[in-house]
Amino acid sequence: MNVSLFQDHDSWLHRLDPRTKMIGAIILFAIILSFNHPLFMAGISLGILAAAFSARSLSALWKLRYILVLLVAFSSILWPFFSEGPTTIWYWKFLKVSRESLLFGIAMGLRLAAFVMTSLILLATTRNEDMTNGLIKMKLPYPVAFALSTALRLVPTFAGAGATIVQAQVSRGLDLESKNIVSRFGTLIPLAVPMFVSAIRYTNLLAMALESRGFTPDSPRTLYYEPTMGRRDWATLAALALILVVSLYLRLGLGVGVVMPGRM
Amino acid sequence: MGYAFSMWKNTRMIVLVAVCAAIYAAALIAFKTAIPLIPGITEVRVAGIFLVVFGFLFGPAGAWGLAFGNLMGDLFGGTFGPASLTGFLGNFLQGYLIYTLWTNLVPFADKVYEWKVKSRRSWIRYVIITCISSAASGIIIAVAVDALGVVPYTVLSKIITLNNSIGGIIGVFLLIAVYDITRGQLGLVWTDVMDVEVPVRRPRGPLGAWIVTAGVALGLLCNLIPGLPVNVASWLSAGIIILGSLLL
Repeated sequence: MNVSLFQDHDSWLHRLDPRTKMIGAIILFAIILSFNHPLFMAGISLGILAAAFSARSLSALWKLRYILVLLVAFSSILWPFFSEGPTTIWYWKFLKVSRESLLFGIAMGLRLAAFVMTSLILLATTRNEDMTNGLIKMKLPYPVAFALSTALRLVPTFAGAGATIVQAQVSRGLDLESKNIVSRFGTLIPLAVPMFVSAIRYTNLLAMALESRGFTPDSPRTLYYEPTMGRRDWATLAALALILVVSLYLRLGLGVGVVMPGRM
Repeated sequence: MGYAFSMWKNTRMIVLVAVCAAIYAAALIAFKTAIPLIPGITEVRVAGIFLVVFGFLFGPAGAWGLAFGNLMGDLFGGTFGPASLTGFLGNFLQGYLIYTLWTNLVPFADKVYEWKVKSRRSWIRYVIITCISSAASGIIIAVAVDALGVVPYTVLSKIITLNNSIGGIIGVFLLIAVYDITRGQLGLVWTDVMDVEVPVRRPRGPLGAWIVTAGVALGLLCNLIPGLPVNVASWLSAGIIILGSLLL
């Protein structure tokens, strides 16, 4: 199992400092949350798609196209029944759909897709190690960053061990093709036990290896790769901050980009 | 709450966080699209069998491991967004409540931090704590996700509660299978790793446990209370759960 979505290209987004990309993603999330009108959400989504295109990361989005389509479709179907608006266009017994709730549903679907696309661009343009280094530079305590980076490294190891265990059990006659959810759950226990035990044994080995090398969680660290913020990083953050300020002014000052005023 | 932070000074506990996060994330990513319930938000969580086992065996390391594992599952499963931060908090809370309620939820609690397979009280405690922690996690996640406009509270809170409760209860078979080897052979139960003889039960512990339980009841039944809007009751419930958790 490869848990990295990183794509090695030489684009302006790849060259940005990991901190810029992470803070930029947070600002972008705030911009996305500023509106709940489908036209505004469509505009923001197109902007994010353009950023993905310029970073040559469209193939990362393409990999998850089914999830993106499902997100938009499901949210657009679900929300109209759980939000209320004054202009009713359809009702049946206790179910009611208004023009506003329908538009709100479409906007929420686009919002969810915009969230996912933003995070995918971040992952497609940033290596896991750079992300961890960026987090340390942003004052995340070292033991937490160490746990996170170790976990990232261990996922493929454990997934590989899991695949071996599955093959071993299937060769002994374990049926994993059953359509019944309950029986599928039942077959997981004989798989989960050896996977769990082999992973937990690894804990003691890794802890001993770390302690024998003098690992102390609290001691100060230096990094082999020191990320630095350049002029381009500050310019990117300033541009995103400006867009956020304009978005907030449009929403809070002028009441633009809203289809359901009481909601975020 | 003290152990949840002091554990970061212990190398074995830090490694346990990484191992729990990796196992949980691997299971989440592998089964992300197997049986979706709300596409992109939640699915039939096969990884749910690890929730209670990690929380009980590894205590604070299990709680942090679940939180980081869920975050990694979102990141690499393609569903990362602002809601992932509430997923982080909700999954941490689930693991945290399991090991804290075990010794604080009187009269079901036990002074000794042990799993006894032949004790009926252990089984009852396990089921009650699994359901309360699952509901607390579900309510915290659903309140924030609803506010972000992703999925309505009334739908998501019930789905997560049911999903995690079922996974957690099935997980008892995993706990039975691995408890002796983890405690006896590997010495990796958190109370042994952190040299905690018996987790301290301060007077405010049982109070916190029952405040969390009351918050959970309010959160699950809020649409049945006349005159109280669901969004007000759900935020009130989340506040009560967090207050109770801080007392534990």
